[in-house]
Amino acid sequence: MRLGDFVLQGVAGAAAFASLGLVALIVIEIVHRARPAYSAFGFSFVYRVIWDPVHDVYGAGSYLFGTVITSFGALLLAAPLAIGIGLFLSELAPKGILAPVTALVETLAAIPSVVIGLWGLIVLAPFLRDHVDPALHSVLGFIPLFGQAAVGPSLFTAIIVLTIMILPIIASISRELFLAVPSELKEGALGLGATRWQMVRGVSLSYSRSGIAAAMILGLGRALGEAIAVTQVIGGGTEILWNLFTPGDTLASKIAANYQGTSGLLETPALLYLATILLVFSLITSVLAQLIVRHAARQHGAQ
Amino acid sequence: MPRTRLKIRIVLVAALAGALVALTATVAGASRLTGTHLSGAGSTFVQPLVNKWISPVKSQLGTALTYNGVGSTGGVTAIDSRGVDMGMSDAPLSQFPGKCTNCVQMPWALAGTAVVYNLPSLPYLHISGPVLAQMFNCTITKWNAPAIKALNPGRTLPNTTIFPVHRTDGSGTTYNFTDFLSKVSSAWRNGPGTGTSVSWPSCGGNALGGSHSSGVSGVVKGQVGSIGYVDVYYAKSNSLQYMDVKNAAGKYIQPTLASFKAAGSSDTTPNSNGVISIVYPSASFPTAYPICTYTYVDVQKTGNGSQAPVIRKFLNWAIHTGQSYGPALLFQPLDPGVVTWDTNNAIPHIGS
Repeated sequence: MRLGDFVLQGVAGAAAFASLGLVALIVIEIVHRARPAYSAFGFSFVYRVIWDPVHDVYGAGSYLFGTVITSFGALLLAAPLAIGIGLFLSELAPKGILAPVTALVETLAAIPSVVIGLWGLIVLAPFLRDHVDPALHSVLGFIPLFGQAAVGPSLFTAIIVLTIMILPIIASISRELFLAVPSELKEGALGLGATRWQMVRGVSLSYSRSGIAAAMILGLGRALGEAIAVTQVIGGGTEILWNLFTPGDTLASKIAANYQGTSGLLETPALLYLATILLVFSLITSVLAQLIVRHAARQHGAQ
Repeated sequence: MPRTRLKIRIVLVAALAGALVALTATVAGASRLTGTHLSGAGSTFVQPLVNKWISPVKSQLGTALTYNGVGSTGGVTAIDSRGVDMGMSDAPLSQFPGKCTNCVQMPWALAGTAVVYNLPSLPYLHISGPVLAQMFNCTITKWNAPAIKALNPGRTLPNTTIFPVHRTDGSGTTYNFTDFLSKVSSAWRNGPGTGTSVSWPSCGGNALGGSHSSGVSGVVKGQVGSIGYVDVYYAKSNSLQYMDVKNAAGKYIQPTLASFKAAGSSDTTPNSNGVISIVYPSASFPTAYPICTYTYVDVQKTGNGSQAPVIRKFLNWAIHTGQSYGPALLFQPLDPGVVTWDTNNAIPHIGS
């Protein structure tokens, strides 16, 4: 083996193992420091709804609820929008506006979380409370989720903020995927007499199905971990209330809000227990994404 | 041709690197040359005052003071692990069990917490401690409740929902406010209690949380009917409406320097741990504002090495000359009794 090859293998291998080692070290450290909370509260911590530093009793219930609702809610809103943007930018945009719109979507991703959080609290929250929430309540009020809307900072505001934040990722990946669809497939469909929409639905979307699924999971991962923007707009709620227009809290937001100000002997371990739960979530979504991509590769290989 | 370009590039990079090294060396050398340095971390409550001190401390004592406003708990954690020379906290060390067990604790600044609210055209509403506790405990839910009306005769209160706003992050201001609520309400004392972070009743979703004073201010300003708490300087410099709070003598008091001074006069001797509580002073102090607090500085008793005299000199300066910078920032200068206690019982214990 030549020296160059050896060095390449060595350096690349070292980098790969270093990143693996880093992840392992982080996980080990967090789980280790969460141990006192696990010993004190056991598994019931995961569903108990309480956070009382004065009496040193903690539970992740309301934060787990908030994380699931806001992340999946944001994905539900962002996915169709982002796929639409991807389609527009790859198939439908006139040459003139293609470049500016692409640039704007990328810029959305570049806005710092703390700025979006501030804007969300000062501008978005009052707007949603005064105009959007009542409208939703009057139309969908029979569903408890869309109950009375009294306050600005709420789960719904957090969902909107997260939607804005994960939109660019899913949109740009979708756009790349649609651009990568083999043109002979698309032209073939058009040649057989399909309309634009039929071609998109039958060829582009189905060809990129698994890639889009992976993009959505990437967006979900981003939504799960977003802390700073969420903690500004979500209202610091402490209960599980089945109404999107009430304040709530998520795992990441709680950790970010309280990590520097813990009191009570068990608050820091309890926060790290929250972090462990969040890590488990991230691990599951990451593995899911891997499985989907691998399945897709096999599918495409068979074609 | 490519070789010359490469050479030019190498020369440019080397020159840049050299310039950077020279610059760093000069800066580092400069700070080494011009005297001592001190590091502090903690309370954001006292941060405006400490920031005001940086310049005069440099010119009068020759010490470069750096301060990191990471919050009271962050400050206590930092001094516990000796990451800084001094930790600043609004809550006494008893709130942080196991931390800084061999530390000197002394009060060194006095200020208050304002009760801020959002009801347009209704400035300076009257409120009492027990009613406040009931509002945050969700037993009073509307602004035109009889209990609030009784405190404000002659004023028309709207039928608006009350939205109690709290700090989501651990905060010394929360400690001061909950300390007050615990003193005036047994339901609060036996319920959420006193702490830098407590379990706030959610009032069916009406209770809101804001991150830091800016978050609380943002939530209060954006929500009519909300009521929250921030330190007085923040409330006044951000034009928030604040309430006149009823003290033990039955008088409704605005948060001003005079009312802080009156509260401070209610107890001028710290206990053996250096703690003084001046929350809800007795009726013998009719002009006292009931939600005042001292803020503390914590220093390790041993292991300070050559920093010990620097720390002692600075703290001496802080409790004497430093206090004159307070009033502009709504910090009431310390009572002479407190200054004496600090000088005799706290500062001398800061050893090498």
